[in-house]
Amino acid sequence: MPAGPVVAVRDLSLRIEPGEFVSICGPSGCGKSTLLHILGCVDTPTEGRLLVEGADVGTLGDAERSAIRLSRIGFVFQRFFLLPMLTAAENVELPQAEAGAPRDQRRRRTAELLDYVGLGRRAHHRPSQLSGGEAQRVAIARALANRPRLLLADEPTGELDQATGQQIVGLFERVHADGTTVVVVTHDLAIAARTPRMLAMRDGRIDEEASR
Amino acid sequence: MWTFALRSLARQPGRAILGVLGVAAVGALLFDMLLLSRGLLVSFRALLDSAGFDVRVIAADVTVAARPRLDGSASAVAAIRSLPEVEDVVPLAFGGARTDGRDGAPLELFLLGAGPARRQPWIILQGRAPDPAAGAAPELIVNRNLADRLGLHDGQELILRGDCGHEPAATPPVRFRVTGRASFPFDDPRALTAATTMDELRRVCGTEDGDDADILLVASREGQGPMAAVQAIRARRPDLHAYSNEEVVARFQQVGFSYFRQISTVLSSITLFFGFLLITVLLTVSVNQRFAEIAALRALGFTRRRVILDVLAQSVILVGAGGLVSLPLGFLLARRLEAILHAMPEIPAAMRFFAFEPRALGVHALLLMVTAVLAAAYPMRLVARLPIAATLRTEVVT
Amino acid sequence: MGPLTALLLIATSTAAAPRATPPAILVSRQLLEAEHLEVGDVVLLSADPKGGQPRPFRIAGTYEPVPDPAHLGAPALEARLHLPDLVALAADPADPASADSVQSINVTLADRKEAPAFMRELDARVPGLLLRETAAADDRDVTFVVLDRFHLAIAIVTVVASSIFLLALMVMLVDERREMVAILRLIGLRRRRIFLQVLAEGLVIALAGALFGVVLAVALEGGFNRFFQWRYDTALVFVRVTPAIASRAVAVAVPLGILASVAASWGLLRQGALSLARR
Repeated sequence: MPAGPVVAVRDLSLRIEPGEFVSICGPSGCGKSTLLHILGCVDTPTEGRLLVEGADVGTLGDAERSAIRLSRIGFVFQRFFLLPMLTAAENVELPQAEAGAPRDQRRRRTAELLDYVGLGRRAHHRPSQLSGGEAQRVAIARALANRPRLLLADEPTGELDQATGQQIVGLFERVHADGTTVVVVTHDLAIAARTPRMLAMRDGRIDEEASR
Repeated sequence: MWTFALRSLARQPGRAILGVLGVAAVGALLFDMLLLSRGLLVSFRALLDSAGFDVRVIAADVTVAARPRLDGSASAVAAIRSLPEVEDVVPLAFGGARTDGRDGAPLELFLLGAGPARRQPWIILQGRAPDPAAGAAPELIVNRNLADRLGLHDGQELILRGDCGHEPAATPPVRFRVTGRASFPFDDPRALTAATTMDELRRVCGTEDGDDADILLVASREGQGPMAAVQAIRARRPDLHAYSNEEVVARFQQVGFSYFRQISTVLSSITLFFGFLLITVLLTVSVNQRFAEIAALRALGFTRRRVILDVLAQSVILVGAGGLVSLPLGFLLARRLEAILHAMPEIPAAMRFFAFEPRALGVHALLLMVTAVLAAAYPMRLVARLPIAATLRTEVVT
Repeated sequence: MGPLTALLLIATSTAAAPRATPPAILVSRQLLEAEHLEVGDVVLLSADPKGGQPRPFRIAGTYEPVPDPAHLGAPALEARLHLPDLVALAADPADPASADSVQSINVTLADRKEAPAFMRELDARVPGLLLRETAAADDRDVTFVVLDRFHLAIAIVTVVASSIFLLALMVMLVDERREMVAILRLIGLRRRRIFLQVLAEGLVIALAGALFGVVLAVALEGGFNRFFQWRYDTALVFVRVTPAIASRAVAVAVPLGILASVAASWGLLRQGALSLARR
């Protein structure tokens, strides 16, 4: 195969309405993670535009895009990426502290979120003391810390067993029901099938779209 | 930010401790070199000023190793004393003498002769200075070493035989009466020193008809300043070499203390470079190992500036902590090095190689902080240029 | 005759030489440059600090003075005269003995090993002489013995700091290889085998590092000497890396490197394979 730039996403036009629960699935290398990174303002498209609530993100500087990610978008990663030297509660407090929330408010919100994800009693445990599923739930709590309007999850069940993965999707359903727009990237069709709107990608394009 | 940086460092406590200890070790050496770079000057200046004389007059350049004597010292003293810029002048002559030790073996001592003046270049610890009008019983003061060595007390007799020239001479012995103990600023720790009047020193040395001195110590008049006295002396007696204490220090800075200045500069540079290298390596490895985590923080909304400052904060904490620990270490090391260097012959006991000045603390802190910033530069650059999406992707793939 | 305390350079003259050709002298390169003299110039020298009774001498050449580390930084303004000329210049007319006095007599023996015996015999024949073997240490060496100790103390501090740095590097290196060690243990390699591997790697790194350090020191030696020789206008050699010094450096560095490697790996080797593999 000749070396050179790889076109990860091509000819793609997508609109996601507030309150939707969308899954993006496809085989490995189809561009779904790249699409998610673009949606999350982590990556910028080589061509085309990303509009977040009507604003063209491409015209914004790094600080402004960071501000969007901090307060309007929540990110959940396949490998959790919890900070190992912080407890579960401290991990959830971290984005709030970065957003300038006062300490009392942070602590209340953190306790609320950990209860929400069912880990109220594990607040002072470090990530190394948590199971994979528990760590991912803490990561979800962290992603919800600043009340984002959009939650993005990149293969959130990739490191988890089937049963735990289903529990995590159940948590996403609950988050969606509470009014947050959720977009999940997954290669697991069983998980994608639980979302109201499913986009199948292949070779950088949206190949098929299904709704239920 | 500081708490976060501290927690990040605490993740690898072994590395952090080693980083702090490494900076402490080189910081201690750096601190000592900063003390050394000015220690001799500060100490030497203090020594020169200690007796209250701020100008020195000699027969040749101050840096000439074998200095000729100042002929016609009496007329020189009179000429200088008459200057309005001058408060006081005392001629000094140096010689040697022998006496019998307690065990009967000959003991060599340094003998100082001072002309009449209101001030003298010694500090009386006990008793009184020799009286020029003592008459038949010439008087002598001795330093502590000599007094202890011979068990001398005030009023006791001491017989001296002159040993002033470069050839052996058989001058008649002179009986002195000890009138007191004094400290002489330029005595080395083992020195055996005695002082008497100029006339008595000449008698001991067998040069009663002589009119020479080794040096004239001059005190400038208050309000005039030493340079005014120096200019006046140079104008009145251009054949003599007059130097203010400041000028003497400056000349020795170029010649006598040059080695210590150079070694101080070289070692300071090496320690700073070493500290820079250690912290840069530690932080770079740490950042390399945390790329995914940093990318995740960026994805969560941390700004580039925020993650860069985290790296800088870690550097400042490591270097700052190491710097604090380095100060007591530096003081201890300085004492050890001072003890080693004081074994050099003819170094006055009151001289300090590592004289403390508060400015050394400021310079030390400033150099370390600059090192902290420079050491963090490369890892900060790595963090600043980290591609978030590509890093996240790589982390998943690997 | 007492020491010649000052040879005062009174004046130079490039005019026609006086009727009797003045005696020849050599002046140091530094004096030549400082006083803007040239070979062939006639100068007046006086032993009197006030310049009394000067005598003319012709500069026959220049020389590089033997560098004296005890007077580093002091310009070597000196001249060399034939002994009779110096004696004639500096003798005290009132002292007949001064015309036949010198400060020291240097003796080169046919066989150096005979120096102690020679000194004993000479002392017996001419009592009152101060005899010193040039190879023997004397008080003037004390300063350099002290400086040697000072340098050693500094070297010890830098070795300590370097060891800490080395340990930090080894700790980081070991940390990065944690997974590899876990895999090796899991597939059945014994601790001893891995320890020998660590030891061998530590030896190679330490040896390579020590040799590199020696090469670097030799490479910098020339630069240091040239710089300070220029700075102090002297021919003194400031830095010399001898085989003994190089051997000593390697002998200190290699064990330290091996020790650092082993110390850094110790915790890793003591852990069980499963706990190593757990992230």
